[in-house]
Amino acid sequence: MENVPVQEPVLSTVRPAAKKTIFTKLKRDKWLYLLLFPGALYFLVFKYVPMWGILIAFQDYQPYLGFFGSHWVGVDNFKNFFMNPDFFRLLKNTLILSAYNIFFFFPAPIILALLLNEVRKAVFKKTVQTLIYVPHFMSMVIVASITYVFFTTEGGIVSELVSHLFGRQIDFLTSLTWFRPLIVMQTIWKETGWGTILFLAALAGVDAQLYEAAIVDGAGRWRQLWNITLPSIRSTIVILLILRMGASLDNGFEQIFLMTNALNRQVADVFDTYVYSVGITQGSFSYSTAVGLFKAIVGVVLIFGSNFLARKSGESGIF
Amino acid sequence: MNLNKSWKRSISACCLAPLMVSVVVGCGTSAQQGGTTAAGQPYTITIMSDSFSPDHTDPKSNPVIQALDKYTNTDIQIQWVPNSSYADKINITLASGSLPMVMLITDKTSSFVNAAKSGAFWDLTPYLKDYPNLSKANPIVLNNSSIDGKVYGIYRSRPLGRNAIVYRKDWLQNVGLSEPKTINDFYNMLVAFKTKDPNKDGKGGTYGMVVSKYAGPFDIMQTWFGVPNKWGQDKDGKLIPAQFTPQYLDALKFFRKLYQEKLINQDFAVFDSTKWNDPVVNKQAGVMIDVADRANVLLKTDPNMKLGIIGAIAGPNGLKSPATSGYAGFYAIPKESVKTESDVKKVLAFLDKLNDKQAQDLLWNGVEGINYTVQNGAAVATKQSDPDTNSLTQLEMSIPSELYTKAAQTDTSKLVDQVEQANEKIVVPNPAEPLLSNTYAQKGTQLDNILNDARIKYIVGQIDDAGLQASLDLWRKSGGDDYIKEINDAYTKVQQKK
Repeated sequence: MENVPVQEPVLSTVRPAAKKTIFTKLKRDKWLYLLLFPGALYFLVFKYVPMWGILIAFQDYQPYLGFFGSHWVGVDNFKNFFMNPDFFRLLKNTLILSAYNIFFFFPAPIILALLLNEVRKAVFKKTVQTLIYVPHFMSMVIVASITYVFFTTEGGIVSELVSHLFGRQIDFLTSLTWFRPLIVMQTIWKETGWGTILFLAALAGVDAQLYEAAIVDGAGRWRQLWNITLPSIRSTIVILLILRMGASLDNGFEQIFLMTNALNRQVADVFDTYVYSVGITQGSFSYSTAVGLFKAIVGVVLIFGSNFLARKSGESGIF
Repeated sequence: MNLNKSWKRSISACCLAPLMVSVVVGCGTSAQQGGTTAAGQPYTITIMSDSFSPDHTDPKSNPVIQALDKYTNTDIQIQWVPNSSYADKINITLASGSLPMVMLITDKTSSFVNAAKSGAFWDLTPYLKDYPNLSKANPIVLNNSSIDGKVYGIYRSRPLGRNAIVYRKDWLQNVGLSEPKTINDFYNMLVAFKTKDPNKDGKGGTYGMVVSKYAGPFDIMQTWFGVPNKWGQDKDGKLIPAQFTPQYLDALKFFRKLYQEKLINQDFAVFDSTKWNDPVVNKQAGVMIDVADRANVLLKTDPNMKLGIIGAIAGPNGLKSPATSGYAGFYAIPKESVKTESDVKKVLAFLDKLNDKQAQDLLWNGVEGINYTVQNGAAVATKQSDPDTNSLTQLEMSIPSELYTKAAQTDTSKLVDQVEQANEKIVVPNPAEPLLSNTYAQKGTQLDNILNDARIKYIVGQIDDAGLQASLDLWRKSGGDDYIKEINDAYTKVQQKK
């Protein structure tokens, strides 16, 4: 380390052959590359190297026989999965829940960020911001327990309130119709505050001169919001929406698993819980890997699809 | 990039530090494998088992483990896994490839059956006869725990007639009824517990029976109606699943009535089974249907409660109670960690020794003088919950019988023993218990879910008779038909052998 010269003086002026450039570039920015190295290594070791494991989706994998001893079964696992009577129910439940999330949860942080942006008292704004981050740090188990305590028919506050107001009791926890709203409400309560961070950052970057000019032109609050604020954060919204689309088949295992019971399983079963019950509790590793792979492929297709659409409509997209 | 030297050094140090750490950690956590040691040295045995308590004394300072080490001339290393996630842990451990030498298997899941069939575990059948305790294992339970007649593990024995009704005796006296004998009596008791202010507090709010989302109580109650224990026989001698017997619907209609008249808690479908005791202790509910020794657990929370226990209620076919499988999991020996036959024999000798009276005492009570004392021939624990012995009771196999010094019998614990013994005469065994089905191994969870969900939906009135029929058809279509066929094939094979 001691012998390494601080900087090569050659770099700035002389341009040797192309092949050499890579090395010289490497050498010039070696400290930057060194900084990059742990991160790259992390992705390599924990994300890329284990990827060959998806090959067991095409096997009848038995842990004792190991990867090399297990039989290859081609696409049998996929066939079984698509022919399974559960498949369409799972797909339907997963997609409907995702749609609920995109329609009801996705706009929530944007609206909240816009509201916060209009707040003029800095102290108030900061306090609110800090408080709404809190639910994000709560474990899903706690959120589910809170929901249970509020909504149980045996003395839950919300249930009691509903039966006093409307004269009949609704069993939110076991109802087929209330399962999805309940899940989305939980998500909104837990994640809206945290979701505002990115939008607030985008809002902070809007040029204040635009507003001044608009005020001079006689634009009111609503006009400013519509013609300046929203267009300025449009690209942020689009990028987050694309990422959200890619995760359409991910519903968050923990939350669904905790809220499922015998009476609402019909609408609650999604791919994530299915992979758990088949893969971990029944030990069908190959089959559940096939399901996981299917999910991942659909996710990639959706990301590319929505990115394509975004670019078509004049946005920059994510790649 | 104009960085000075010290900066560069600290950056490189920062980048390299995590790498170094991961390398060191990677080396440090290589699996601890026990096994061969020099003669005379204690033999190291690693065990993975389930535990109901997170509170353990450090093994190095735990007098009970030290005494066990000494008694068996072994260095025992136990890995405790919470009971609630034990099934997941089995599959993960099997997949990880680093297995303990003795591993508790709780269920004959497909992953275990496949592993055993492909030779991952030692077939212990030929060895058992050589050990004084293990040779006396109950043949029925051994058969129940076997896979295709081969014994892959040493079972933990449990009473066959363990299921019973536990109720508040003081409540029954308060409402002026006598112990129920028939299903109708039982119903009247629940009605009285709801309407006649059994706890004498002048307020309502009580109900008959508390049920949790664990479906066991319904399984027990439906045998009163003559529903078989999971599998029954039709007139041609073929095995049919319980839900396809005509009595099943009678039982379900009764449960529905209990629910509609609010004699059982209305939120049972979401009621967590860890809170199951609470309504009885808090004087809200008067009846619980579970294992008979639930009464002992209830008394621990409130020693002043007066509890009654009934083995079974007479239905159209007299007294019936479903038999348990007679075991709660078994200890299997993986070939991965126990390589040679002489090592298997050492491990078996160790497991055999754990069934000696002295070892049973250590596992159940701990070390005499430290964890318990003996007064009038009964064990008296020095602490109410002792981290030294908390989970070690899980290693108790009690083959051929329970030899440890028991705690002084209370009226209730005497009653528990009586009911369990009386139940042995009326138990309905599950004829398919030792039989294996590939379909069930692969789709068992889904099949059971369809069935349990349908039953609960019917009880709360979410579906009617037609809906129930549709669910049963779905069960057949989702693999149930193959399951029935496979079980019957296996059954005929066993019958032909006899």
